[in-house]
Amino acid sequence: MQIEVDNISKTYRRGPAEVRALRGLSCRIEAGVLTFIVGPSGSGKSSLLYLLGALDQPTSGEIICQGRRLSQMTSRERDVFRRDQVGFVFQNFNLLANLTAVENVLVPFFPQGVAAAQRARALELLRRVGLGDRLDHRPSQLSGGEQQRVAIARALLKRPKLVLADEPTGELDSESGAEIYRYLRGLRDEQGATVVIVTHDRTHIQPSDNVLTLRDGKLAAS
Amino acid sequence: MELARAKHLSNGVERHTQAAVCSREPGGFCEHCPLFLMRLLESLGMFRFAIKNLLSRPLRTLLALCGLTVAIAGMVGLFSVAEGIETSVAATFGKVPGLAVIQAGAPIPLFSRMPAAWGAEIARLPGVHIVHPEVWARANLVEGKPCFNPPRMLFGSELEKSHQLRYSVYREGIKEGRMLTDADMGTRHALISRSIADQFKKKVGDTLRVDSLELEIVGIYQCNSLILDTAIILDIDLVRQLARVSDASVSCFYVEPALNVDRDELGNRIRELFRGRTDETRQSPLLIAGLLPERSDKTAANPVGALFSAIGAASRSKDESGSDELPVEVRDSNDWSREFKKFSADLDIFLLLMTGIGVSIAFVGIVNTMLMSVTERFIEFGILKANGWSSGAVLRLIGFESALLGLVGGLVGGVLGYIATLVINANWPTRIHLYAGPRLLLGSVIFSTVLGVLGGLYPAIRAARMMPMDAIRRG
Repeated sequence: MQIEVDNISKTYRRGPAEVRALRGLSCRIEAGVLTFIVGPSGSGKSSLLYLLGALDQPTSGEIICQGRRLSQMTSRERDVFRRDQVGFVFQNFNLLANLTAVENVLVPFFPQGVAAAQRARALELLRRVGLGDRLDHRPSQLSGGEQQRVAIARALLKRPKLVLADEPTGELDSESGAEIYRYLRGLRDEQGATVVIVTHDRTHIQPSDNVLTLRDGKLAAS
Repeated sequence: MELARAKHLSNGVERHTQAAVCSREPGGFCEHCPLFLMRLLESLGMFRFAIKNLLSRPLRTLLALCGLTVAIAGMVGLFSVAEGIETSVAATFGKVPGLAVIQAGAPIPLFSRMPAAWGAEIARLPGVHIVHPEVWARANLVEGKPCFNPPRMLFGSELEKSHQLRYSVYREGIKEGRMLTDADMGTRHALISRSIADQFKKKVGDTLRVDSLELEIVGIYQCNSLILDTAIILDIDLVRQLARVSDASVSCFYVEPALNVDRDELGNRIRELFRGRTDETRQSPLLIAGLLPERSDKTAANPVGALFSAIGAASRSKDESGSDELPVEVRDSNDWSREFKKFSADLDIFLLLMTGIGVSIAFVGIVNTMLMSVTERFIEFGILKANGWSSGAVLRLIGFESALLGLVGGLVGGVLGYIATLVINANWPTRIHLYAGPRLLLGSVIFSTVLGVLGGLYPAIRAARMMPMDAIRRG
């Protein structure tokens, strides 16, 4: 999925203060490429990621995903876009505490009803990420690395064209972190998905990867 | 199918109502599928998720349920008073197949007086089997104790007529001893109800002191009606003597139609018989109720009695101006039920107000509970929306949860309310009759469910409207 970001700004309020997270940022993310967004804290990395996935709306500017302007989508169309085309992996996993691992993977499909084929694929994905014996465990019974693998399986189940990961290894040890990056690269290689990762840690960046460096809400280098 | 799949993937909002099965996933369904099965699957999945969410917060769920349960149980309890009166009246008068002729405007025979001579006129009408004169008075003291609640009534029956009735509710209800017969005329023999016998620990052969009279109990009846079971049945002349009612007056006539005679038609004949007639003996309701003595030379000398007599006379002369007026009312069992409903209308308003207060508290409680529950789960809703849950789906989830709370609260409240009515009825059988019927119980459950849904609506809309990241940030 090719994404064009055109002069976007994002301002939000934090208490009485107004925070300008992005200031007229423009960039292009090519389809099927692993893209890293790097930069110091407060540079607007996560804000950009959320805007790419229609989790948030820019104050101004435009994001065009595969020729479609996100700003012109209705709320319902954005829901469908997120459900069908985007997989999210959050730093703090964002699993639902009262659901088991397999239910957390299937949760995007609860409103439509889960088909047997989806359940089978969820089980297969969890086995692939090494959680075949942890299917019925709740998040509190899983380690950080295991929780992040559940989150990745959840993102993969829908076969997304765009995977957005916000500091996916931020709370993991280096071994678990490396494993997570292997899965994300595998996703790009096997499914041709566009993968965008926000990170502080540059150790996993390879020469073939696209790197967007942000500073003070602007693109510093590409 | 491939075309449909491509369309669906390229544009998630394409409708494909022509397709029998959605092609997005093998065996899956998308949100636009019109299939009933899909909708059912959706509902079941959401329903299970909603149950899981409620069970994962047991204390909050329990508190919300408690609030609703108490309100609904209270509502069932309060409305069972009105329903109890209604069913008691229907059960009582359903047992009385004939017609009652009473003084116009008198709510019950206790407040009615009419000329005894009119009985003979009614008896001459075609279609009448028997006319049974009755005198009703209130017993003030039984065994020296004031009888306010439950009230005790003296029912004077003309015994030579009563045994000619094809059906007598008291005769049918005899449990011990015997019914009064012609042989009991002029005696102090009495037939009392089981509840009176139990209250005063009396049996057949014992004496019962009513006001200043020692009565001999010859029989005990039981009609299982709070209204009928208040009566002490005596010879009509004895009640006249006790209540200071003249021989020329009765409270009412019970008219039993001949076989195969239409009750309504006979009622109309009786009304026509008395249309335009003036009741010369008509008395003030105060006097009838026993609050003033009947007119006599002695009372004429009393200035207060004279004043009321004058008011009564003025009232009579005023009524006489309308010659089409009826001095009597003819009532069947349905009329009695209507009359009692009018009686209990004010009670219904009171019950409604009381229930309104309880329900308002429950409503605020459930809104508060749902609002707190939704607020603390903003992250969860943000995650769900980030994973493609639509606003409608979030709305449905919260709606299911609050509806479930309402449904379970309604069921538990209904059952508790019902059990409470049984316990109260068992403890005070002669004083109160509560009835929580299927209509009231079902209505309570539906009401509670609707209340739950409405209570969850505002928090649900608030959560559903948020952008996913807003929800996650606020959480």
